[in-house]
Amino acid sequence: MRLARFFARRTLQGIFVVWGVITIVFMLRFITPGSPIDFVAPLDASPELRQALAADLGLDRPLYVQYVDYLFGLVQGDMGFSFLRGRPASDIVLGRLPATIELALAATVVAVVLSIPLGVISATRRNEPVDYAATGFSLVGISTPNFWLGIMLILVVGVQLNVLPTSRRIIGLGPAFELLILEGNPLGLQLWVAHIILPAVTLGTYFTALIVRLTRNGMLEELGKAYVEASRAKGLPETLVRYKHVLRNTMIPIITVLGLQLGTLIGGAVITEAVFDWPGLGTLVIDAINQRDWPLIQATLIIIGIGFVVINILVDAMYTYFNPQVRLE
Amino acid sequence: MISRRVRQSIRDEFSRSLMAKVGLVLLVLVFVAATFAPFLAVQDPTDQELSDSGLPPVGFTQTAEEERFIDGERETVEVTESGSLEYPLGTNALGQDMYSRVLYGARTSLAVGLLGAGIAAVSGVAVGLIAGYYGGRVDDGLMRFADVMLAFPALVLAISLIGLLGPRTVDVPDPFVAAGLVSDMPETFTLPLTVTLVVALVNWVWFARIARGEALSIREKNYVKASRSLGAPDRRLIQKHVLPNAMTPIIVLTTVQVAVIILLESALSFLGFSGTSLSWGFDIAQGRDFLATSWWVATMPGLAIVLSVVAINLVGDWLRDALDPDIEGETGGM
Repeated sequence: MRLARFFARRTLQGIFVVWGVITIVFMLRFITPGSPIDFVAPLDASPELRQALAADLGLDRPLYVQYVDYLFGLVQGDMGFSFLRGRPASDIVLGRLPATIELALAATVVAVVLSIPLGVISATRRNEPVDYAATGFSLVGISTPNFWLGIMLILVVGVQLNVLPTSRRIIGLGPAFELLILEGNPLGLQLWVAHIILPAVTLGTYFTALIVRLTRNGMLEELGKAYVEASRAKGLPETLVRYKHVLRNTMIPIITVLGLQLGTLIGGAVITEAVFDWPGLGTLVIDAINQRDWPLIQATLIIIGIGFVVINILVDAMYTYFNPQVRLE
Repeated sequence: MISRRVRQSIRDEFSRSLMAKVGLVLLVLVFVAATFAPFLAVQDPTDQELSDSGLPPVGFTQTAEEERFIDGERETVEVTESGSLEYPLGTNALGQDMYSRVLYGARTSLAVGLLGAGIAAVSGVAVGLIAGYYGGRVDDGLMRFADVMLAFPALVLAISLIGLLGPRTVDVPDPFVAAGLVSDMPETFTLPLTVTLVVALVNWVWFARIARGEALSIREKNYVKASRSLGAPDRRLIQKHVLPNAMTPIIVLTTVQVAVIILLESALSFLGFSGTSLSWGFDIAQGRDFLATSWWVATMPGLAIVLSVVAINLVGDWLRDALDPDIEGETGGM
């Protein structure tokens, strides 16, 4: 019941924010110099042709009419037709969505699997060589631009060692599983893994470094608290104290920061996609911007905005799992 | 603006921490490189010497196959070239000196980083103080707007804005060249204006949130209420009581935001949105096409970015450890 009320409240707030996002994205077209027609019409188009095109695309109507029309369309799931691709913009965006989600999830998996053990080791062996190595790695990791890291990985792993593919995604996770289950063929899954390793490491390194830092600092702070001494005095095994109590309490600030960093994950995905020619939302939005394909720009940005709001609500809900003190408000 | 106690604790932390010293030394190094680039560069970073293209850095050799006409026959010969001090970090495909380009790139990065963080700090703090101090509808409106801003990943918003507005730049005359102290160097420095404004625009919200929080808590303190009842004007109250109290977290946030913005600028230049060709991100994008033959073109500017951002992060850690404010929005940016 409490959970239901929490989601209802947050969804309402979320809808408000999404409306703001839609409005800002819509306004972008009007602060952009030049007319959208410039990018649609042939270079030698006559004024009459340009006018006809504008009328055809609905761009000759007053601003508020276009805005209200766009909102009504959105509510019905209609995001307009791409100027240059001749397909519904929402279809194009949703077609690209799995690639970005797979990349973001793979990067998160890389980050969580590597970082939390590293942070725990670093904290429990403070000022030993392994701690210095972990803190050094995390300092450099948060200071490295991910596109450069990606290029260096391509240079070393792809060009010099030639062991992994360095661009493109040739099969999605869904079809790869389908192949495995229906035909017992693991090749699709192998290809998927091979292609996603470098992009996932590129995108995940910053978060690995960040979480190592947070875990280490959080653990050190928690380990100094009285309840740790008390649990030890009670005779609880050290592993139980560390992993059940200390690490769990450390997770709270980690989730807070990760929630705030979601934008970094999505922004990072955009540029990682550009480096690895990954067919997700990032490469799509860059192409759409360069072509001034307005319906597509708007659709991509709005879907990114909605995704962001939704993940944020989920992160807030995750909070309560780790910290029952937090009330769902 | 900064109390003696705060300055003392910054000094104490500095003498305690080795990493603070390393960070400061590195940062000074980057500043010197950026400021005195015309003196330190070996040649004009934009000069092209096509006969010297693709030379490796000093100490490295590079073997490449080249097609040549020998006695009227086309033959493939192996050419081995070794790096020399003439081009300490090698040359790119246009025969430009990478060492000089890395030095000049530091100017672009630091200029955008400092200016961008400065603009974000001043505007964000102003908005936050007003929202927090006056509260009510002003506060609600401004904070809802901030929520919407935060619903966009910073890089996505920055790419959209700059991709659509187009990169505008300002040419600033180089004072050393203008004074005749050096010659054969670029006469102007190109500041990517749109990039600077856009990175400030996507990052001001963090400052606004901190300043607002501080203003909210201080507004209710008795001494502030007392001053207000005695008729002190709002402007003076904000200047005298609210701002100084908010200063510590703002300083820490500004430091780290410089690093965040340098990373953001490099990403925007990498995507070709900055409008200047003297930028680390731009050179990395150029070098990407020559990874198989000239690894150094993409590698060197990237190392420069890592070095600068590590330096700023170390200084940020030092200030944070000394002042220990609890703030958000201090990491990230890519």
